[in-house]
Amino acid sequence: MAQIFSPVADTWLRLSMLALLALMSGTLVGAIGIAHSAYVTSTDRVPHQPVPFSHRHHVGELGIDCRYCHADAEKGPKAGLPPTATCMTCHSQIWTNAAMLAPVRESLANHTPIPWVRVAKLPDYVFFRHDVHIAKGVGCVSCHGRIDKMPLTYRAKAFTMKFCLDCHRDPIPHLRPQDHITDMTWTPKNKDTPARVSQIATHAGIRVGELTHCYVCHR
Amino acid sequence: MTKPRQWTSLEELEHDPALQSWVAAEYPAAATLEPVARREFIKLMAASFALAGLTGCEKSPFTTALPYVDQPDAATIGVPRYYATAVTLDGYAQPVLATTYDGRPTKLDGLPGHPVNKGRSDAFMQAAILQLYDPDRAQQPSYRNEPISWQDLVGKFSALRDQWKATQGASVRLLVEPYTSPTLQRQISEWLAEFPKTKIHLHDPTGLQDRRALTAAAYGEPFDLHYRLDRCGTVISFDDDFLGPGPHQVGNAIRWSEARRGEGKPGIHLYCAESIPGATGAMAAMRIAVDASRMSVLADTLAVKIGVKAVAAPGLSKDEALWVSRAADAIRNAPDKALVTSGLGAGRETASRVAQINQAIGAPGRTLAFTKPANDLSSSGSFAALIDDIHSGAVETLVIINSNPAYSAPGALNFSDTMARVACTIHIGQQRDETGSLCTYQLASTHSLESWSDALAVDGTATIIQPTVTPFYDVRTDHQIIEMLLGHGDIAADAPVKETWRARFGDVFEDRWRQALHDGFVAGNSAPVIPQPQNSVEAINADNSGEVDVVFRLDPAVWDGRFSNVGWLQELPKPLTTLTWDNVITVSPGMAKRNGLDNGDHVEVAVNGRSISGPVWILPGQATNTISLALGYGRRRAGRVGDRIGYDAYSIRPVDYPWRARGTILKRDGSSELASTQLHHRLEGFDFVREVTEQHPALPPPPSQASMYPAWPSAKHAWGMVIDLDTCIGCNACVVACTAENNVPVVGKDQVIAGREMHWLRIARYYSGEPETPHSYFQPIPCMQCEDAPCEMGCPVHATTHSPEGVNQMVYNRCIGTRTCSSYCPYKVRRFNFYDYRNAPESPEQAAHNPDVTLRSRGVMEKCTYCTQRIEAAHAAADKEGRDLREGDIITACQSACPTEAIVFGDINDPNSKISKLRRSGRHYALLEELGTRPRTTYLARWNDSPDDTERT
Repeated sequence: MAQIFSPVADTWLRLSMLALLALMSGTLVGAIGIAHSAYVTSTDRVPHQPVPFSHRHHVGELGIDCRYCHADAEKGPKAGLPPTATCMTCHSQIWTNAAMLAPVRESLANHTPIPWVRVAKLPDYVFFRHDVHIAKGVGCVSCHGRIDKMPLTYRAKAFTMKFCLDCHRDPIPHLRPQDHITDMTWTPKNKDTPARVSQIATHAGIRVGELTHCYVCHR
Repeated sequence: MTKPRQWTSLEELEHDPALQSWVAAEYPAAATLEPVARREFIKLMAASFALAGLTGCEKSPFTTALPYVDQPDAATIGVPRYYATAVTLDGYAQPVLATTYDGRPTKLDGLPGHPVNKGRSDAFMQAAILQLYDPDRAQQPSYRNEPISWQDLVGKFSALRDQWKATQGASVRLLVEPYTSPTLQRQISEWLAEFPKTKIHLHDPTGLQDRRALTAAAYGEPFDLHYRLDRCGTVISFDDDFLGPGPHQVGNAIRWSEARRGEGKPGIHLYCAESIPGATGAMAAMRIAVDASRMSVLADTLAVKIGVKAVAAPGLSKDEALWVSRAADAIRNAPDKALVTSGLGAGRETASRVAQINQAIGAPGRTLAFTKPANDLSSSGSFAALIDDIHSGAVETLVIINSNPAYSAPGALNFSDTMARVACTIHIGQQRDETGSLCTYQLASTHSLESWSDALAVDGTATIIQPTVTPFYDVRTDHQIIEMLLGHGDIAADAPVKETWRARFGDVFEDRWRQALHDGFVAGNSAPVIPQPQNSVEAINADNSGEVDVVFRLDPAVWDGRFSNVGWLQELPKPLTTLTWDNVITVSPGMAKRNGLDNGDHVEVAVNGRSISGPVWILPGQATNTISLALGYGRRRAGRVGDRIGYDAYSIRPVDYPWRARGTILKRDGSSELASTQLHHRLEGFDFVREVTEQHPALPPPPSQASMYPAWPSAKHAWGMVIDLDTCIGCNACVVACTAENNVPVVGKDQVIAGREMHWLRIARYYSGEPETPHSYFQPIPCMQCEDAPCEMGCPVHATTHSPEGVNQMVYNRCIGTRTCSSYCPYKVRRFNFYDYRNAPESPEQAAHNPDVTLRSRGVMEKCTYCTQRIEAAHAAADKEGRDLREGDIITACQSACPTEAIVFGDINDPNSKISKLRRSGRHYALLEELGTRPRTTYLARWNDSPDDTERT
């Protein structure tokens, strides 16, 4: 009776099993990689806006405070986009005929909102509150990045669950004094010294250890 | 071994084999699938894992964000605002605090501080918000069923007015339903000043005027009665369901529960003679089922026992005699704390006798308050008189204000055809309903929540109704439309209301107006009076035609039909019957046996030669020779939800006394499947509602239980809930409040029949005793938030986990829908989305959703969360202020709605919190304690205050 399998068959089998394993783990690594990629988290895109608004100019060069336009950030869950009237506090005086600002003037004249494209967006099943994060000392830059260096706004951080949990597991190193909330360049001078940690923990009354349970963000 | 005492249905009591097989299917809601081959199974699983993996790669989209052009100073994006206003029921104000997000109302709660409802609600008030978003509302005015603009209407009305002027309005009739609005009152007098010969007629399907007629018979003139149940120790009721649904429910329930929570024992005892089981009978110390037409006999006998001169009626049965003598004993023990009441079904003669008994025991001014009707409608013509006038050709214009007589008038009057004889008919209403679609003009009006108006609460306290949102459609308020008819043009919505109140507030108008809008009511109610009852009791010629008493009842879910298109209410299991999406003809177990009837069998009921047929429901505790018909169904133009459901009881309603008649019942062929929830979500075990008596006021202490699991490390707060079964009246307010707060979907009749209703909180109803004379129990069952939760052990993907504060968390976006948690749950509180039950994206009902709660999609498990969105909001608020949480910071939706404060939520780690005190009570127990799940939701046992029942002790 002839041999069914040739002498190399065993090698082929081992090789293909290895290849299958490599393919499976490669797929897994690839899938995780894609999920965290700039493509999926949209950190690589600068969406087209109706008005090419420059945060670099308004924040970095003119030094306007974040809360001048995003006035609800401290008061409620949403920071809010500025109403047209806020733009017009300055632009009724300066650059009044700039072609670039035509959509703003039309908005005021027709009483129709400016259709901005939302850059910082969380999934619908995440319930984020700006006010409590600010009250506890999370700075704007922690999530929104160096907005003062963005000529056109893009998503600076990938809003993945890991990104949120990194801070919720151990918030203290990410906190700052109330008067530096909107400061883009502040860094703790005596970072992580026991004195600073205990000072922040008592000041804030943060429920460390309870901030990772599901209902804090999902409900 | 102890035998089960409590039972849920007659089928269970009779060991029906169909029930046994239903119970044997461990998960009756699951469809039975064909057996799947192993290969097929692996293929399917591989495919679903691959597909599930792909969903993780969903890309976060960039969407448009529209800011304000000019943001109002007081508006903060995402922070709710609250408006004090009112919705109406039977013309009475139900004062509410409306929660609005970004300018759209999402939730109604009772108005805190209001003298009647004290921040509490009923099911109708909770559900009124869905009417605002009803996609089937009339969205613009129409003329001969063609759309027309308000501007054109102003022109047409001017021509009409010239005609009316010619006859001084003699050919004009206004048809109203009972109302209390001072502005409408003023406008109608203005109308009469302009057209003095106009006649006003009243259409009263819900019986406000009939109640006043009863007091007029007893006291000589019409009064509104107010039961001071908080001052009572004994209440004797003759077919008066004062704890049942209606505009008085919340006020009565609050007062009754205050009295009931006595020091160490119940402070009030009810003796209830009922023809149809209701909430009052369910809470009674002693209840007897008596045919509606025999109520006067019992009242006469009680009068003799109390010493009021009356002729004793012969022929009381042994049980009736015992009930009367126990009731008389209770009155004699403390006459100064006693009250006797009678309802519409008991009739005029009972009401007169009850008035005399109350006079004899000194109830008026003590336990019974009288007020003159704030808006006396008795001078209006009757509805029947209007029909006569139309037939005589005297009516050329008929203006119908917020009424639907083409549906809700007694069928014998044949209003639809009669109305066709009137040259010009004008309908003012929110819906193009049965009446509106027949009228020459249908003038689309606003919902209360988008109106400027006013109304009085049941005690006469006025509320100025302010809008919470700009009208969605091209509609006007009732008052604007009447001004238009009066020739004042299309004026601003607040102008007519301001005009009324300017006259009342005088010089300080602006201040008092702002104050009234802020407070939600204008202090000051109707002054009490103390009338003298008539000595004689009018002898009524007993109507002995027919075989049985036919009692007409307003439906506890859709009322007189005005809530027919509200899905939340249609799907609400009605108290005691637990039926949804239908009305039934209820009969007693005895009558069912006599006529060979089973649940769902069709019968024909005939009254005065007119008949209807519908499915029958055997109701334990119903009087033997009484059948009851529920009004509010059989609608033809309610909308997509409410059309063509059930039978129309109005078609056989008698004209002269529309609450009780004599009739016959006949079995017909055929039967219907009814969507009753009484057998759904059954627990393993028995006697879930425990009882204590005055002799044994404490339950035996629970045995200490060892656990194989380590105790959960608790955070500073540990949330828990205690539900007092002694004050739960099964009113369903909590269920609707939960539905509104948590975006609970409506699934429809077929899905309810399959056992798939989604209510996070259900009210289980149990009986004990014989089917003819049962005791009824209500037990609200939300999630127990077990400390050792079986569901958490079962989930393969950790979609349900435990929070440090003891809440059993359900994470929708992680759930893959294995339903393991639900089969592990011994309390059956988990609900699965078998389909995508969400509204269509373009539906206006989307705007009614609470934005703080996720809308769950298909294939996801959900359940009560203890209103976690409220817990987290309270945490955020306290954290922002840098303080700790205080008692009262978190109030769950069900707790806030409950009129009797039977639901208490709080921190069980705080020994001084209200909930901790209740947990130390002798009545405290946990449901299915023996399973060792350590539930956080626990109960207080019911008091058994029956004077005779030794079996229950």
